[in-house]
Formats: sequence, structure tokens, C-alpha cells
Amino acid sequence: MTRPARSICFEDVAVGDELPSLTRGPLTTPHLMRWSAAFENWHKIHYDAPFATGHDKLPGLLVNGSLKQQFVIQLLKDWAGSTGWVWKASFQFRAMNVVNETLSVWARVTGKRACPDFGLVDLELGIVNEQGKESTPGKATVALPYRGGQPVPYPFVAPKV
Amino acid sequence: MTILPDAAKAYIGVQAEDEIACDTVERGAVRRYAQAIMDDDPIYWQDGAVSARYGGPVAPALFPTHMFRRAFGTPDPVQENARDPDYDGATKLRGGLPEIEPLKDFSVMNGGSEIEFYRYARLGETVKLRARYVDIIEKQSSKGPIILIVSETDYLNGDGELLMRARHTRIRRRV
Repeated sequence: MTRPARSICFEDVAVGDELPSLTRGPLTTPHLMRWSAAFENWHKIHYDAPFATGHDKLPGLLVNGSLKQQFVIQLLKDWAGSTGWVWKASFQFRAMNVVNETLSVWARVTGKRACPDFGLVDLELGIVNEQGKESTPGKATVALPYRGGQPVPYPFVAPKV
Repeated sequence: MTILPDAAKAYIGVQAEDEIACDTVERGAVRRYAQAIMDDDPIYWQDGAVSARYGGPVAPALFPTHMFRRAFGTPDPVQENARDPDYDGATKLRGGLPEIEPLKDFSVMNGGSEIEFYRYARLGETVKLRARYVDIIEKQSSKGPIILIVSETDYLNGDGELLMRARHTRIRRRV
């Protein structure tokens, strides 16, 4: 889990390209407890199995939506590399994922827009479990440098598009 | 027939007072957070070339959204609810926005979020948030009318520089 050795350029990307997927799991109870502790959220449905299944009638401990968001951002960040920038990401929580599932984040290029100092790449994305069930569809926009150009400015300044 | 009262629409534009996170961006908190999300990116812990672009080690992009924790001297909901079997432990909505009173008996669902990133929070920085209601509209769903409540939260560092902007949609439905 390190930064890519080589940064990707706007010209390297084509509509329809699939990004390398990111897989996390199986996501066990300790994974969920560790995340709850890290951000100090004590919602029992993520670590108290009797409460989750008995009181809230859930199928099991739920994987936090906030943890799934992290995996999406990580995939995008690592793909953008040290000279790009993840500008926007959106998520919808359409389905639950439960403890011990293995999740894979996917993303696909849907559009490209050229700006004066860098290019914008639009993506659709999501998270599927081992059965291929989609739980977290979303979209993102990543800024990438032009080949031979400067890195995307940091702090990022939104272009007029 | 509309289910959205005019009194609820009056909340559009309501902005909460700025809330300052009780702790700065701490190295240990960043380590625990990064390890919990399983992202050991050196930009979170190494000085030098790897983090030079950001002015030094930084926190993961979404870290500012999780900095608004219970401060010293504030009530402890875990202890207060220790004998309540129905207590679910969920953290209340942060950001200081008032409850929309005309909708307080409506059910709530997460309708998704959109986040714009502008810079990372650096180790040692303070972070504050500024939240507001930006839209409250009624829509028809396959299960009947619903109300979408859209709020926007800016996360800023101590110098007032925008780190990120999060737009959340909550779905309220009459129960």
C-alpha cells in the first residue's frame, strides 16, 4: 500500500478504462471494532452481534458505510498518484454488507475533460461483495496532469467547468 | 398533496455556529485511523520528498469528518445509557444544525453524500466545520412521497483554508 512509483497522466487514460480494483476482506469483527474505535463511533450494529441481530433484526454485524467510503477514496488516491488529485467523490449506500464479507472497489472511466492546467477524468464506481452484489454505487472526478506538464496544483483549486 | 410543510422549508439557509474539533490532527490518531482503513500510505507518516507536496505528513482525506468527538467535560452518552437496552450507541448528527422540528417524527435514511477535496489536514492543524441546510425538497418515490434534506458542511483548517466540502442528503419519510 504505497504510492505508485510512476504517476499517471491524462493522456494515459481512455473512456472505458477500468481502474485496478481494491479488495479488502474478509472484514472480520476485529476490523469493524478497530474502525469504530479509530473514529470513536459506538453504534452497536457494527460490533455487538446480539444487539445487531436480536434488537435491530439485522442479518449480522454491518460493515460501516464510513469504512466502505475509505476504500473508495483509497483506490482513487492511489490511482491518481503523487501528481494527481481526487477532486470529487459521491456515494450512495444502497445495500448492506455484513461481517466476514470481502469487498472489492471498482471504478471505470466515463469521461474526460481538458482544462487549461490539467485534465479531469470522470468515473463511475462501486463496491461489490464476493457474490457480485453492488452496495455502494457512486461517481468521482479525478484531476490528472498532462504528460510533461506540472503536477495538479496543490492545494487544489476547482476549475471553471 | 404535499407532505412538506412550509415551516420546514424555512430551514433552508440556516447555518450552524462553527464547531472546532476538540483535538488537533494528532499523529497517534492518524496512525490508528490509517491502520483501521488499511492504508499505510507514507504521506501519513513520512517527512521528506514523499509528503513535500503537502507540506509534511497529512491525515487521510476523510479524517477531518471524524474529528468531531466528545470533548472533555461533556456528557458521556455511553454511561448515561448503560442501563437502557434500546440504546444503540449511534453518534448524533454533528455540525450543530438544528433538528427540523416539523419533520421530527419522520423516519430518517441516509441518501448518500458527495465530497469535494481541496487539501489534506496536516499533522498539528486544528479543524473546524461550518454546516448549513442548502435544500429541502419533496419528491415522489415508488413508495410514496419523501423529503430530501440536503446539508453542506465545510471543513476548514485553523487558517480558514477549505479542506473539503461534504454534501449529505437525508431522506425523511412520514411513518
